Amino acid sequence: MGGSNLDNGVRALRDQRDHMTQQALAEAVGVSRQTIIAIEQGRYSPSLEVALKIARAFGEPVERVFWFSE
Amino acid sequence: MTNLSFHEKSAIGTLIATWIIGIFYFHSAWELWQAGQLHPASNFGLAAGLTVLLVIVLVAYHILIAVTGKPEEEDERDRLIAWRAGRIGGFVLGFGVVGIVVQILIGGMLDDPLAGSPVLIANALMALVFIATIVELVLTLVFYRRGI
Repeated sequence: MGGSNLDNGVRALRDQRDHMTQQALAEAVGVSRQTIIAIEQGRYSPSLEVALKIARAFGEPVERVFWFSE
Repeated sequence: MTNLSFHEKSAIGTLIATWIIGIFYFHSAWELWQAGQLHPASNFGLAAGLTVLLVIVLVAYHILIAVTGKPEEEDERDRLIAWRAGRIGGFVLGFGVVGIVVQILIGGMLDDPLAGSPVLIANALMALVFIATIVELVLTLVFYRRGI
């Protein structure tokens, strides 16, 4: 996981949004689909800017999308 | 390869091409050295020829992967991976240069004729660039696959 202890609910939130595709989210945020995949799999912790953009794409506060794992 | 980004495909192709052509170069240089025919002119010809070959192969490969899959714009993850892998590759290069300089100076102090050989120094530097490039490309792929 690249040394990060950050978890996220990106996959679950996509599913709740009529199975929004990774590509659609990537385009809304301005990153590649592979970066969305890496975030969902916990292989990459995004910058604050991208985290906020993802939260905005879901219409959720950022802490409902990303949180620290124990 | 469909699930790989353009940058990952680029790194894979560059790694394979650099590895094959690099090994061929050092094998050929070693053969010439063994035969006593590794002179500056022959070494330059070998290095220049294989460098041109590497450029042609990489240009053709990148055209191929750009045509078969739309290249994505570089994003923050691509930049972070390139920076981190490049930084470690740069350390390898830097420490290697210092090592070669020390070897030359020590060889000079001991009157070792090989220490002043332009062909040997050139190949030591070529080997260093080769190793640093391979390290950088392997780390790039590790960071893409394992995470960063």
